[in-house]
Amino acid sequence: MGNWLLILTICAAAVQSCVAVDRGNFKTCDQNAFCKRQRATQPGNSPWEILLDSLNSTISSLQVQVISSRSQARLQLQLIALADSTLHFELDEVNPIKLRYRAQESLSGSPQLSSLKITEQSSDSISLSFGGTGKAILLVKPFRLDVYDGDQLVISVNARGLLNFEHQRVRKSKLWEAMSTVAQTVGSVGSSLPGKAYSWVLQWLPWSSEAGRNEEPSSEPAEEEMKAEAETKHPDEKPVEEEEEPGLWEETFKSHVDSKPYGPTSVGVDISFPGSRHVYGIPEHADTFALKQTKNGDPYRLYNTDVFEYELYNPMALYGAVPFMMAKRQQGTVGIFWNNAAETYVDIEESSSGSVVSSLMNLVSGGGNEPHQQTHWFSESGIIDLYIMIGPTPKDVVRQYGSLTGKTPLPQRFALGYHQCRWNYNDQEDVHSVNKGFDLHDIPYDVLWLDIEHTDNKKYFTWDPVKFPDPLEMVHNLTANGRKLVTIVDPHMKRDSSYFFHEHCEQNDFYVKDKSGKIYEGWCWPGSASYPDFFNPAVRDYWASRFALDKYEGTSLDVYTWNDMNEPSVFNGPEVTMPKDCLHYGGYEHRDVHNMYGMMVVEGTIRGQLMRSDYKLRPFVLSRSFFAGSQRFGAVWTGDNIADWEHLAIAVPMLLSLSVSGIPFCGADVGGFFNNPNTELLTRWYQAGAFQPFFRGHAHLHTKRREPWLFDEQTNKIIKASIKKRYTYLPYWYTLFYEHEKTAVPPMRPLWMEYPQDGETFSMDNQYLLGDSILVHPVVRSGEQEVSVYFPGVDTLWYEIETFRVYEAPGYQTIPVAIEKIPIFQRGGTIVPKKERARRASSLMTKDPYTFIVTLDKQGKAQGRLYIDDGQSLEYQKGSYITLELNMEGHTLSSKVTNQGAFETPESIDKIVIVGLSRAPSSIVDNTGRILEYRYDATSQALVLRKPNFSVSNEWSVNLKM
Amino acid sequence: MFLKEFRAVVFQNVLILCASAVLWKQTTATATQVTRPRGVSLARASLYIPDSDFTCLDGSATFPFRYVNDDYCDCQDGSDEPGTSACPNGSFYCRNLGHEATVVPSSRVNDGICDCCDAADEYQSGANCVNTCKELGSAAQEEAQKRYELESQGYAIKLEYINKGKHAKQSQQERNMALKAEQLEAEALRSEKEREKQEAEEPERQALDKYRQIEQEAMKEKEEMERSQREGEASKAFDWLDSNQDGKLQVEELQTHTAFDQNQDGTVSPDEAKFFLHNEEEMEKNEFVTTGWPLIKPFIMKAQGLEAPSQPEQQAGEIPLPDDHHQEESIPETDGEEGEEEDEEHEEEGEIVKPSPVTPSSIEYDAETQALIEAANKARNAYDEADRRLRDLEREIRQLEESNSKDYGPNEEYQPMDGQCYEYSDREYTYKLCPFDNGSQRPKHGGSETRLGSWDSWDGPEGSKYAAMKYDKGVQCWNGPQRSLKVHLSCGMENQLLSVSEPNRCEYEMKFTTPAACSEPRKPNDGDSEFHDEL
Repeated sequence: MGNWLLILTICAAAVQSCVAVDRGNFKTCDQNAFCKRQRATQPGNSPWEILLDSLNSTISSLQVQVISSRSQARLQLQLIALADSTLHFELDEVNPIKLRYRAQESLSGSPQLSSLKITEQSSDSISLSFGGTGKAILLVKPFRLDVYDGDQLVISVNARGLLNFEHQRVRKSKLWEAMSTVAQTVGSVGSSLPGKAYSWVLQWLPWSSEAGRNEEPSSEPAEEEMKAEAETKHPDEKPVEEEEEPGLWEETFKSHVDSKPYGPTSVGVDISFPGSRHVYGIPEHADTFALKQTKNGDPYRLYNTDVFEYELYNPMALYGAVPFMMAKRQQGTVGIFWNNAAETYVDIEESSSGSVVSSLMNLVSGGGNEPHQQTHWFSESGIIDLYIMIGPTPKDVVRQYGSLTGKTPLPQRFALGYHQCRWNYNDQEDVHSVNKGFDLHDIPYDVLWLDIEHTDNKKYFTWDPVKFPDPLEMVHNLTANGRKLVTIVDPHMKRDSSYFFHEHCEQNDFYVKDKSGKIYEGWCWPGSASYPDFFNPAVRDYWASRFALDKYEGTSLDVYTWNDMNEPSVFNGPEVTMPKDCLHYGGYEHRDVHNMYGMMVVEGTIRGQLMRSDYKLRPFVLSRSFFAGSQRFGAVWTGDNIADWEHLAIAVPMLLSLSVSGIPFCGADVGGFFNNPNTELLTRWYQAGAFQPFFRGHAHLHTKRREPWLFDEQTNKIIKASIKKRYTYLPYWYTLFYEHEKTAVPPMRPLWMEYPQDGETFSMDNQYLLGDSILVHPVVRSGEQEVSVYFPGVDTLWYEIETFRVYEAPGYQTIPVAIEKIPIFQRGGTIVPKKERARRASSLMTKDPYTFIVTLDKQGKAQGRLYIDDGQSLEYQKGSYITLELNMEGHTLSSKVTNQGAFETPESIDKIVIVGLSRAPSSIVDNTGRILEYRYDATSQALVLRKPNFSVSNEWSVNLKM
Repeated sequence: MFLKEFRAVVFQNVLILCASAVLWKQTTATATQVTRPRGVSLARASLYIPDSDFTCLDGSATFPFRYVNDDYCDCQDGSDEPGTSACPNGSFYCRNLGHEATVVPSSRVNDGICDCCDAADEYQSGANCVNTCKELGSAAQEEAQKRYELESQGYAIKLEYINKGKHAKQSQQERNMALKAEQLEAEALRSEKEREKQEAEEPERQALDKYRQIEQEAMKEKEEMERSQREGEASKAFDWLDSNQDGKLQVEELQTHTAFDQNQDGTVSPDEAKFFLHNEEEMEKNEFVTTGWPLIKPFIMKAQGLEAPSQPEQQAGEIPLPDDHHQEESIPETDGEEGEEEDEEHEEEGEIVKPSPVTPSSIEYDAETQALIEAANKARNAYDEADRRLRDLEREIRQLEESNSKDYGPNEEYQPMDGQCYEYSDREYTYKLCPFDNGSQRPKHGGSETRLGSWDSWDGPEGSKYAAMKYDKGVQCWNGPQRSLKVHLSCGMENQLLSVSEPNRCEYEMKFTTPAACSEPRKPNDGDSEFHDEL
């Protein structure tokens, strides 16, 4: 424990010194040269034109060059038609000096091609059709792409003329050669000086301040060649004097100098959504779900960073980045995916009616003079790699995006249970007593988590020999009661010659390099650390191999993984992360791949887990950092939040943003990571968390213990009830996650995903749907006595899940919310499967019977689905599962088995509740003629069928004789 | 399907249940045995009567008895399913023959994990449970026997502690009483001495009043003399320094005197010289006499090796003007700060402030007055001594009462621990607990001791207040709360610090054994605990 204190001091000191002051540690757009440059691009005067002579096409694509009338720079445009109404738009330099990075790992395999036809071509435009109803028109001068769904213009690229593609160039200077010798001398003198002094010296020299920078990337062509190329093929687009504008070839933030050996390489273009009222997505930001206008502040930033005590309601970047956006019109929905792993910004501006662009839009679309959302995207490097999805429904868009970047595979059932975490459970004894505490107080939980202190001096894959002398015994203690363990494995490796992982990386050249090609060293939890280059497949293979049970000692197949700090977090790095001029596999700069680093870590971990079980068990990994495609590898959480009401409230918009952006398995730390929640906040947080996808209690080292039983009796009781409630709905959650894997529709949904034409719901982010059946309105304010719940739908009924009190939609209703109340409603017309027996862990519920809650709509109908499998193996992917379709119509409820693979289960249905019957039936008979027992309650209009005891594997029906 | 068969096994035979490993298939009951539903304790058996309808124990519903243990939850309180997992809030009674009976939540029934040592909770899950009650029972008995022995020996020591504690308390009380008596005497004595002092001071004051006038005149005269002496000296110095005799001192004149070389660089710079002319180029004689000379004199004296000037050693450039004004102003402030607490230092200071009867040596009192003064001085000294005596007594009483007010347990059994300290070392720290005083930690590899907390109160849970001690207001954690310490006490043969942990940041917990925590030993049951439990 003494050690523990010492460590805490060191950690705290490290945190203090690097990230204590929040905003000042992170760049604003103004402090970021490419953001400033791109943002300064003036609309309305695009120099880019299509070179019709260069047009080529195949059955699914067309290629054509685009040229700048100002600089004569050429870009290669490729349009590719993809399956499911998706158009791939790719813009890269013709003959670049250095190949630009293309993000491939975000995609789940090669997208399926579809047909692309040129339907019309003139000197002004090229018309084409793709997929089913997709049409597009390429306008020649200025270059623009308009995408139509049928006759409706839905997306327009470069309509505002903001296309700004900074082609690579050679630094221009008349005195280049003459000076390079002098500059070298200065450079070597200067390099030993702090950044500021160095630039001061350089400023004093007769030539530019930049001349001293002489590092030539080794992978570049010879200087002569470069110069020749620059002069012939790439004449500068910009006037010469702009060449030396600050920030092009070197940039300084605080004490960090970014050497930028390739100069300016940013890419940007505007994308407008005619007719759209709101745009959503581009997580991760602590902001409203419907994104805000950014004109008067910074753009939304996508740059994975470890932000200490992040602030709410602003566009600052957080731990993860998904450059995907959905735009919602009254009648339709479209999506775009900006597949670029470099630092990216998105400006959002509502067109003012009457502006040039807006009238242009209106002219083209023939629509009214309504304002619409227009966006401006720019990244620091890479190419413009844009996927356009034309919906038209929200579910179509998520499916289209899901087929590009993948879906979250069905997790093991335990992953949907409750997770108990803390930084830190101190030792084996502590773990044991917490585990016992849950049993003693009869509170279910599935996973106990160990944070960094469990390791031997922050050397991941090891155990502290004193605090955890026998980890396997501890694991067995947990698994004996059906539970699992998660250990943290972070990607910063302690530079310690006695650490096998570090030694292996050193010997095999596995670490990320600094700009000079030496192994990069940063500062993180272990002190001096280096970072494996996860973009190197051999590194991921090695990482994966370390999860083998004989390699990662003290683990079993019941031990899963948490990848934290994988932005990557570097305490002493610029913006608490890795310098952009660090070098990765393939000669790419960290700048090019930054936002994907965290995802690549998780890819390695997932594969490690698959390998150790011989591809039998589904993996489970929680990651803090993420990118488009991360959903294929597991769950994420919203990082280090704070125990206050605002942070409880922001979880809903943040999780909705993740959900619609392809990452459905997400959660926020219950209780808040920093600081101590009071009992009311903790209670409300458990109630909210119980109905969010990833449900984990977590707390900072400096907080008080908060296992539920440490509070007063009422708090303990309500928290326990909330967790138990989560467990009763596990069959529903599990079915939703199965359906997600099939359809890409997230379990947690904005209301408009089910009611896409209900304008009232478009900016709603204080309530949401689970599947299509459950409406949740968490209480997120202190002292709240009642909440105003909006019930969506036309002629639709919503039943409060405890009392079955019915509310009619559409409209707002005031719902009382005493402290034990979670406002949750089941839609009339649905059937929700539950398991009402409380067990210690989800793994102990597998044989328990189901309860079906049937809530009738106004026509007396209801439908529902249930998915069942073994809860852990990958056999379901071979068809080993059961799906039921439940249908109630005309007083008959029937179950149809729609899939029954090689999976057997003793599970049955021992209770059916039918709500919304105005009177009791005279009798109830099943399909075999058996008369069933029942009870009817006139107040709640609920009929309870007692022990029908149907096997889930059989088809059955019951008929209510009225 | 197990559910269909289930109804047939609602009732269990007590004997068969304990004897058979394949429990649920046994359906016949022998007539002599009491039948009761599975999972019901003997004490509650009478609430489950097979021949009549069953009413939930909370009275919420009544239904046919076949609903009991039919694996479907009908009662809100779970009482219809004592033997199944159907009710989320029910409980299951494990008889555990050979060991202790236990009650487990219904969620444990048939969940595949053996919870009852007699395996009764897993009658249908297929879990491979073996009846371990016998082994556990004998182990528990051994444990109980050991505990009994420990308690017995510990208790014997505790009795000694009680004895010591009570004895200490008694002698403290006796001492306290004695002191109180002394205190009364001392108070009386002080009053008497105070009265005598006042009586002696009155004639002294009257006598001295007569001399006051004379005193003042003499004082004035003396001051005048001193002033003229000073001025004469200044005037002489002026004339000496004013080498060109123009009645003014100039910079150049001062530059010739090395005494003014403040930075000791060998020359007197114009600035150094100007400093003594109040930053002017020259100075008239009048100004010199009043304010110039006092500034210069120490330097001259130093140069002549007479006296080290104190002021000029202050930072160069600062004008070392005497700052008497400030000091004079600050005196009344300190004076007016009359704390309520008795502070000896303060008191003494107060005495100094009192008008002093000590006469200037220049004045001679007549014999009568001198005698009065001496008498008054004697009375004052006598009073001071009486006063000091009383305050000493009061302090001792206070200390005694403080110790007396400490709660050493219901029978003073923890008293012998007061004044002792106990240590425990882990990898990095040595922890020290001094009961009823404080707890601390000290790094093993050097470093200073950190106070974890000072004795506050007994802090055990309700009903066993003396099971834990609280020490609080320790040293503040960096960027965190003040440290605090909770000490959990348990019965042991000796006073020993067993372990230290820090479950919450800066909140420490110690485990401590002491005979004082031993309770009166009870002979462990060697009979059947269920028998004991149920009858």
